[in-house]
Amino acid sequence: MSFMLTLVTQERELISEEVDFVKANGVDGEFGVLTGHSPFISLLDPGELVVRKGESLYSYYVSGGVAEVLPKSVIILANTVERADEIDEQMAKRARQNAEEALKQPISEIERRTYLLELKRESVRLSIVARRRSTRHPGQITEE
Amino acid sequence: MPSLRSIRGRIKSVKNTRQITKAMEMVASAKMRKAQMRVRDTRPYAEKILELMVRLSAIESHRPNIFFKTRPVTTIGIILVTTDRGLCGPINANVFRQVNKFMADRPGARFEFVVIGKKGQDFVRRSGYKAVGSISGVKDRGKIEEILPATQVAIEDFKEGRWDEVWVFYTEFVSTLSQKPRMEKLLPIGPDVVEGGGKGASPFLGEYLYEPDTTEILDVLIPRYFESIVFQRVMENFASEYSARMMAMRNATSNAKEVIYQMTLIYNKLRQAAITREISEIASGAEAVKQG
Repeated sequence: MSFMLTLVTQERELISEEVDFVKANGVDGEFGVLTGHSPFISLLDPGELVVRKGESLYSYYVSGGVAEVLPKSVIILANTVERADEIDEQMAKRARQNAEEALKQPISEIERRTYLLELKRESVRLSIVARRRSTRHPGQITEE
Repeated sequence: MPSLRSIRGRIKSVKNTRQITKAMEMVASAKMRKAQMRVRDTRPYAEKILELMVRLSAIESHRPNIFFKTRPVTTIGIILVTTDRGLCGPINANVFRQVNKFMADRPGARFEFVVIGKKGQDFVRRSGYKAVGSISGVKDRGKIEEILPATQVAIEDFKEGRWDEVWVFYTEFVSTLSQKPRMEKLLPIGPDVVEGGGKGASPFLGEYLYEPDTTEILDVLIPRYFESIVFQRVMENFASEYSARMMAMRNATSNAKEVIYQMTLIYNKLRQAAITREISEIASGAEAVKQG
């Protein structure tokens, strides 16, 4: 039983096809969707989006946005998306290090929050990269 | 009878013009290809968010939200998307004609503008309307940040009740040969938003579950909807601009070629006539010497 998944950003369309399962990171926690899910709309936090189609799993980094779930379709209006193989590991590492160091300094509450968010973002990016490395297929990860 | 020299000068100047139009044609066609791709890339998001908003607007409990509620219309806000430069065929003029007709059809209403593009600024100034905001020099590279100042003004005006409706006017990119002036109502959001809008939308009319809650989701979605649609329309306008300019410049180039051809004919005729005249003068001169 598959349903229609659309993953779009303002700048491009990444997915528009039938898939079997989607897992996304909502503001109130992760959620998984199979066909026939009851309708709901959720804001998304930065996190990983996992898509299963048949035997293959695909992984994306989503920086936030809105997901609309309907029984036969899921539409994800994302702010920005990176395919797993598009993530720049070096840059993510550097950014994470920057954030970690900045957090050690005495800084204002607002700054602290920005850096914490940054830290979280980069950690998600890096964990996607790490998982991808354990397989041969770019952009595709093994069944957990 | 024009002199040989003056015709030679004119041929030269038309040749220069041809070179310029030819270059502009090539520049426009290179930009056009990229802009067309950007139109293709940005359409899905705009379509999807539009469909979603139409579905949300049909839900009873959202009615009180100011962005969904229809109110008596006294002032209409118009977002006018035009080009910065001319020499792109009739596309700006067509949009202005549509704006004028739109205003003529609504005699009781007042109109205010948010303008994107220099040509639109000129139009609004000429016709004596009020522009509450205007931006120009937007790049065609497809970054949404550049148009945010314009959309923020518009949303603010609508939210605070200064505007009762917001429309966008732009030129839709149909194909390289065809660009259509279009107008669309963006606010308030309702089933009548955008002709043929939400055509592929599933007719879901039930309630959703919301995470975290309705208000917060709508607060995020509504500005996003507005920005993305306007942004997408600006991208359409760029593709239209470059296509129209390419065609206009192609026509100009072929006209220049024709003019050069005609003038070269005249030039050659004149040149031959001059040669013939000279020969006959020499010949008659020689004859006179012989007889003398």
